[in-house]
Amino acid sequence: MMAFYFSRLVEIYPFFLKGLLMTSKIAFISLISCTLIGFVLGIARSSNNLILKRVVGVYVAFVRGTPFVVQIFIIFFILPEWGLQLEAFPAALLAMAIMGSAFICEIVAGGINSIPKGQWEAATSSGLTLIQQLRLVIVPQAMKVILPPLVGQYVLLIKDTSVVSVIGVMELTRVGWVTVVRIPEGLMVFSLVGVLYFSISYPLILLSNYLERRMAVQ
Amino acid sequence: MIEFKNVNKWFGKLHVLNNINLKISKGEVLVICGPSGSGKSTLIRCINRLEKIQDGEIIVNSSLVHKKSSNLTQLRGEIGFVFQQFHLYPHMTVLQNIMLAPVNVKKISKKEAEKISMKKLDQVGLTGKSGAYPAQLSGGQQQRVAIARGLAMSPEIMLFDEPTSALDPEMIGEVLDVMVNLVSEGMTMCVVTHEMGFAKKVADRVLFMDEGMIVETGTPDEFFDSPKTDRAAEFISKILTH
Amino acid sequence: MLDDFNFRVIMEYLPQFLIGLRSTFLISIVSIALALATGIIACACRISGIKIIKYPAIAYIEIIRSTPLLVQIYFLYFGLPTLGLRIPEIQTGIIALMLNSGAYIAEIIRAGINSVDEGQLEAGISSGLNYVQRMRFIILPQALGVTIPPLLGQNIVLVKDSALLSLISVMELTRCGQTMTSERFMPAEAFFTVAFFYMCIYFCLKAMADWSQRKLIFREAY
Repeated sequence: MMAFYFSRLVEIYPFFLKGLLMTSKIAFISLISCTLIGFVLGIARSSNNLILKRVVGVYVAFVRGTPFVVQIFIIFFILPEWGLQLEAFPAALLAMAIMGSAFICEIVAGGINSIPKGQWEAATSSGLTLIQQLRLVIVPQAMKVILPPLVGQYVLLIKDTSVVSVIGVMELTRVGWVTVVRIPEGLMVFSLVGVLYFSISYPLILLSNYLERRMAVQ
Repeated sequence: MIEFKNVNKWFGKLHVLNNINLKISKGEVLVICGPSGSGKSTLIRCINRLEKIQDGEIIVNSSLVHKKSSNLTQLRGEIGFVFQQFHLYPHMTVLQNIMLAPVNVKKISKKEAEKISMKKLDQVGLTGKSGAYPAQLSGGQQQRVAIARGLAMSPEIMLFDEPTSALDPEMIGEVLDVMVNLVSEGMTMCVVTHEMGFAKKVADRVLFMDEGMIVETGTPDEFFDSPKTDRAAEFISKILTH
Repeated sequence: MLDDFNFRVIMEYLPQFLIGLRSTFLISIVSIALALATGIIACACRISGIKIIKYPAIAYIEIIRSTPLLVQIYFLYFGLPTLGLRIPEIQTGIIALMLNSGAYIAEIIRAGINSVDEGQLEAGISSGLNYVQRMRFIILPQALGVTIPPLLGQNIVLVKDSALLSLISVMELTRCGQTMTSERFMPAEAFFTVAFFYMCIYFCLKAMADWSQRKLIFREAY
């Protein structure tokens, strides 16, 4: 029986490849948008403007304090009530962007705050504008602190894309879920799904470990 | 008491100890100096096998240190080691730091260990500090506690790895005083240091190392006043002018 | 938009939410305890240097860390029955959370042990302490201090992760929101209430984590 199911599973492999492609697509778009928004928010969070700081703080606390699946439900079910109809795919991207940027914001803010006051003072006294101070002095130094956890966060974000399967986006996990109804070999089906996730996230884990070691040496 | 026979050690390609032959007898005070990276710290770290050697023999009290011997623990108990960076255990009080090894290695009773520890603390001039945590002490005090910790095992040999290099200048004296007192009690000591005053006052022999080799040995007066080699002369002039 | 927020329905469903909250709470506590045990064992195997237990531990940790929790949950939920193991969903869920967090906890503990300065180890070696004594008196007490804040952080993650159990119909907090949505079609009321309860748990755990961060980390003083 198992051999039979296995051959069925082999037959439908394009279905899994499509799922893998969809997962990669969501992951890729999300990582870019999360990084961009996350850096902007992170810089705002570490600024001296109290109002900006608080507003971003509330945003981050709300996102970090609630499960991602609840956030997806809120976006997918509640936005339509307020007149914003979203397809599953853009809703998934929106949810990922909101969730991921909050986590990256904290990493970026942590990195910026780790730079000693003296660096700011030195940059200010040589007449650099705020943007220049950030771009030329602060962020390049902070990157050493930011990079290892940032790559670690990327791994988490890739894995979190599995949760958007709950609103019906046909990505890898959803493919597994649909398949297991027809081929009732849960171990086999989800091992395959797991292997495919492993193939995307493990290289990033290795990269993260490598960066951590390298930054620790410096 | 301590003997090095043709000892060689490499860190990768770097030849850190190059054919070392050395004898240290009981009660002798040996000061080792030399530029950084000359292998002087490695040399004394080999004595209690914090570092392994690849070639040659090291004999301490007639036991072979370089062999995988089962009584390495006992041997280490007989050798006190003081680090440049103190390495006190930050989660323990001063007293607990000193008592740890006597209780757990020598297996003596806590009461007995406490008595010994208080005596050693007294000896380094920190009687009132037994309940303090390392973070509450100055660098000089921490290093004196570290010396007391080494002494608590009643060692026959004390090794010091640049004990005053991490200290602010005004604290160096208090640590050296403790060490001078130890010398007057007849302790066998190996001290890696650049403190010329200390060497001149108490050392029986000064050993100058460079690039993994023992370049020159002699009495402190010979060494500092009329060094035999150019390298030693250059080194002495540098530590004098800095 | 807040004008038609229906508090009456929330009050009506409050008893259910409280049951869900209790369920989330219990699931989390049991899972955390089991995950801690799993993590300690996995970490001990990982750093043991004995190959036949070290490599399985590495495989376990890396597989868990590189696959999504939801896939692990489905793996057990759909997979255990094919092995002839029929256990209640809630137990399947707890096993999944235990295995998942266990791997992360193993890495947290390992990082804690590695964070202890090498000089501490050398000081222990040179006073003749053996491996077990060095671990017990010097390494672990200091590692504990750096380990507790991230462990509490992992607890926060686990509580939020337990929301995924709603997808295999475990009756916990998020599932209550889903039930209320399908019965009354009031998703805003349902999921904001759910979010509110999670926020409460989050702030309590976060306060603990921040406090421990300030209090528990020993640093070698130079």
